[in-house]
Amino acid sequence: MSIQHSKILVMIPAYNEEENIEKVIDNLQRRVPEVDYVIINDCSRDKTREVCRKNSFNYIDLPVNLGIGGGVQAGYQYALKNGYDIAIQNDGDCQHDPAYIKDVVSPIIDGQADIVIGSRFVTGEGFQSTGVRRIGINFLSGLIKLWCGVRVKDVTSGYRGVNRKFIEIYASEYAQDYPEPEAIISGAMNGAKIMEVPVVMHERTGGASSISAWRSLYYMIKVSLAIIMYRPTLAKRCK
Amino acid sequence: MVPFMLRVNALLGIIFYFAIIFYLLKKKALMLKYTLLWIFSGIIMAIMVLFPALLKKFSLLIGISTPSNALFAAILFFILLILMSLTSIISRLNEKNIKLIQSVAILEKRVRELENMQTKTNVAKDQLLKQY
Repeated sequence: MSIQHSKILVMIPAYNEEENIEKVIDNLQRRVPEVDYVIINDCSRDKTREVCRKNSFNYIDLPVNLGIGGGVQAGYQYALKNGYDIAIQNDGDCQHDPAYIKDVVSPIIDGQADIVIGSRFVTGEGFQSTGVRRIGINFLSGLIKLWCGVRVKDVTSGYRGVNRKFIEIYASEYAQDYPEPEAIISGAMNGAKIMEVPVVMHERTGGASSISAWRSLYYMIKVSLAIIMYRPTLAKRCK
Repeated sequence: MVPFMLRVNALLGIIFYFAIIFYLLKKKALMLKYTLLWIFSGIIMAIMVLFPALLKKFSLLIGISTPSNALFAAILFFILLILMSLTSIISRLNEKNIKLIQSVAILEKRVRELENMQTKTNVAKDQLLKQY
C-alpha cells in the first residue's frame, strides 16, 4: 500500500475557529492534496459554520456541543462509515502543520504501527509547551508507562493517526473530555503498536486553547484517575 | 424504644411514599425498572416501623444506642444508594445521548449533500429542457 492507494481522512475538530479554519484547510489542500478531510464543527458560537458553508468545505455540524472527545469520535464514526483505511486527527487551529501527515501515515501504511502519535518531544524542535505543562505531561507519560507499559512522550498531542482497526474501536468508544491520554491507554489495552514520530508544532495564532490555566488541576486529577481506573474496569467495558 | 408518635407519623409518611410511587407508575412517569430500588427501601422502612423489636436488634447490631437514630441511618443509607443509581442512570443516558448527537450530525451531513446533488440535477434538467 502507498499513500496514493489508501483512503486517508484528516479529521479536524473545530470549536470557534472562524479565524483559522480557512487557513488550515487551504494549507492542508496545498500540502497534501491526496488526502480527504472532514471538519467537525462542535456547535461553535462564532461563524465557523458559515465559513464552512460559504467555502463548501466538507464538514459535520454537531447540533450540540460535545467537547473534543465527542467531536473526534464523530470523526471516527464518519471515517468508519465511509470506509477509510487511515484516520488522522489534526487540530483546527494552526498548531499542527499538515507537512507531517506523511510522516504520521507512513508507519501505518508499512504496518509498523497501529497508532502513530506526532510528538513535540522526540527531537525537541518547535513550540515545546510551557514549563508547568511539561511537568504535567511527563507525569502522565510516566503514569501510562507504569500502568500499561507503553512509552509515549507526548501524551497530550492531538496529532495522531490510526489504522482501520482502531478507527472501529474509537468510533464505538472514545473518552469524552480531555481524551488524548486515555485514548493511548485504550489503544494499548486493545493491543495497538504505538509509535511516536517527531513533529514541530506552532504556538496558537488565534482563538483560545481548550485548556485554560486554572483548569489544569482538574485536568490532571481527572486524567490521572481515568488512566488508573482504565485497567481495573476493562473487563466490564469489553462486552 | 421508638416513640409512638414517631411510629405513627413514619407509617403515614411511608404510605404517602408508596402512594406517590404508585401514582407516578400509573401516569407512566416512572419506569418500573427504576422504581425497584425505591420500593425495596420503602419495604425495609415499613418493616422497621411496624416491628420495633427488629429495629432495636438492628440498632444493637450496628452499634447505635437509640433505635430512632438507627432508623435515620438506614434511611440515609438508602438515599445514598438511590442517588448512586441515579448517577449511573444519567451516565448511561449521557453516553447514549452522545452517540445520538453524533449520528444525527453525520446524517445531517448526508442529507445536506443529497440536497445539493438534487439541486444540481434539477438545474441541469431545467437547462436541458430549455434547450429543446
